[in-house]
Amino acid sequence: MSAIELVSVLTELIFVLVFLLVAWSAVRRRTRTSIDIALFFGAIAAFIVESRVVTTLGLEQVELVNDVVTILVIAMPYLLLRLVDDFSTVPFVANRLAEAGLLFSAIAFLATVGQPPTSIVLVIVVYFAALATYCAVKFIRAARRSSGVTRRRLEAVAAATLLLGLTILVAGLSPVVPAAAGALDGLVQILALGSAIAYFVGFAPPPILRRAWQEPELRAFLRRAASLPRLPDTPSIVGALQDGAGSTLGARATIGLYDRETNKLRFQDPHGVLPNEIGPSEYLVWRAFETQGAAYYADAARANPGLAPAYRAHGVRSLLIAPISAATERLGALEAYTDHQPVFSEDDLDLVRLLADQAAVILESRSLIDEAARVRAHEQAARLKEDFISAAAHDLKTPLTTLVAQAQFLERRAVTEPSAPPDIAGIRRIVLEARRLSALVVELLDSARLEQGKLVGEREPVDLVELARDITGRETYQGRRITLSADAPVVGSYDPRRIEQALENLVENAVKYSPEASEVRIAIMKRDGLARIDVTDEGIGIPSADLAQIFERFHRGTNVDDRRFAGMGLGLFICKGIVEQHGGRISVDSRVGTGSTFHVVLPLGDTA
Amino acid sequence: MVDDDPSIVAVISDILAAEGHEVVAAENGQEALAKANGEALVLLDMRMPVLDGWGFARRFRASGKRSPIVVMTAAENASRWAAEIGADGYLAKPFEIDALIAAVERHATKPH
Repeated sequence: MSAIELVSVLTELIFVLVFLLVAWSAVRRRTRTSIDIALFFGAIAAFIVESRVVTTLGLEQVELVNDVVTILVIAMPYLLLRLVDDFSTVPFVANRLAEAGLLFSAIAFLATVGQPPTSIVLVIVVYFAALATYCAVKFIRAARRSSGVTRRRLEAVAAATLLLGLTILVAGLSPVVPAAAGALDGLVQILALGSAIAYFVGFAPPPILRRAWQEPELRAFLRRAASLPRLPDTPSIVGALQDGAGSTLGARATIGLYDRETNKLRFQDPHGVLPNEIGPSEYLVWRAFETQGAAYYADAARANPGLAPAYRAHGVRSLLIAPISAATERLGALEAYTDHQPVFSEDDLDLVRLLADQAAVILESRSLIDEAARVRAHEQAARLKEDFISAAAHDLKTPLTTLVAQAQFLERRAVTEPSAPPDIAGIRRIVLEARRLSALVVELLDSARLEQGKLVGEREPVDLVELARDITGRETYQGRRITLSADAPVVGSYDPRRIEQALENLVENAVKYSPEASEVRIAIMKRDGLARIDVTDEGIGIPSADLAQIFERFHRGTNVDDRRFAGMGLGLFICKGIVEQHGGRISVDSRVGTGSTFHVVLPLGDTA
Repeated sequence: MVDDDPSIVAVISDILAAEGHEVVAAENGQEALAKANGEALVLLDMRMPVLDGWGFARRFRASGKRSPIVVMTAAENASRWAAEIGADGYLAKPFEIDALIAAVERHATKPH
């Protein structure tokens, strides 16, 4: 047996094998596509078997059998076009042309006795080759539109079809160019072998190959999987899972999350057939969810005839569905679908199950992360409250200590030494500490009022520059370098008491948290119809980790030694409340060890 | 007596002076260490700038001084803090002046 003969036998064996495989699959699952595939390879297999049987047994050709086989071979391009139609859409004209060609070649063969004239053979060969090329292009386009296994299978089919077209072209040319017949015959055998292998790979890929094809997308998906639970919210996670599952399967995918309270699956991006929510119903996805079993439907319309028109209208043909469950917890369902039938197969069930399991792990870790965050936030709030209570208690008890002791001491002296002169220093101490206590109580009450949004009262025109000058001129700040820069009065409509409180708080902080020799700068200006106040110090600064929370209730910078700086962590909270209830904003820029600048922007309000 | 609150220092100094005690005041632990000179009793606040009550007690004892210490604090956990530094007693702020006088009588080293 020569090499060419070996190639020829191999090619024939592969084609017959492909036929057996696709025929078996068509018997198991009778869909238009599987039958079209089986018919196409049936034609090839019939031709091969017939010629083998005739040549090896040396039989006379039976006229009828020969005619049937010839018709089948002539019908091949037409069958191929039908197949293309299953994957993609073939225009009306192309279908009619193919039918006309089929009719013409059939008549030409049957009408002529013996070998048909060369010209007719050439016409038929060109028709074959043209149709095969057209189909190959359609398959390539379909491949481009898909991804994963589907893409690779369609690519293989496209290559196979192109090779088949070439095989026919070269085989048709060989009688025309008898001189090169030998070489052309070898080429035909090789092209045919290539076509056979490519068809085998495309239409009946062995599981190993399918898995290898799935790997890159699956790998990419799994690589991303670890970072998915950290996405900002569940919708983004579901979106990423849908994209990942879709590209791995070479289809579109949608995920429905189960809502226990309503007993419904809720879809974020439902395909046209699915409503946003699905409760117990005949929907295939609900069936799979309820039975907790993955399912493959080659033809959704046939599996659920009630929705057939909707499925057709929305291009849903094959469906793969897998429940998303973590242990006994039912989380939802993953559904992958395409508008063309033969994309999925039973083998893809394993893959969709794997993807659904991965989705379950990701969603489950997300809910654990959420749960942990909730617990942390709760603990944080509890700790802040506890910190606040002990800080408030400490700050209230300090002036009380003086008050109680001093008052008792005065009382004792008044009793034991009635004629002694009044202890003026002691009495002053009581007054001073009573004021201090009252200020603390007011601060506590303010924060409580702020919580209820009732901090800011009647507004009237206030000149912020004058207010700042008044604050910085106070006795408390004597000996501190405080500079005020302002060109003109900045008058707005504010609650005078509250706006003073806010500004005073910022100046007080700037002074409190910076060295005595350093400078505190206040700048007040009007810009873009807004009042802007900047208070800058050269103090200890605020660690960047604290910046986000510095305006929160009870929060104090972690670099604030609370044994050194008294305070309840309410000042900036109240300050922010006052600014915001005036319709303004407060922010801070700060660097540890360099200092801080607090920016306040206030609307001027109606001062007319 | 060591306390960073000047009002408290003033009133307690007055009260104890009226009882016939001599009071040396310091506004933080470091100043107190510098002034320490064989006192009969140390009245110690815990939260103070520069050197707090814990730091003072450690260094005070490390330097071999034996004077009894009575903690005065406005914090909730006065007794625990007193135990932490091995103090002889504690006064939770605010306290009655009788409690202050009694604590001083009870813990102060008697002159020999």
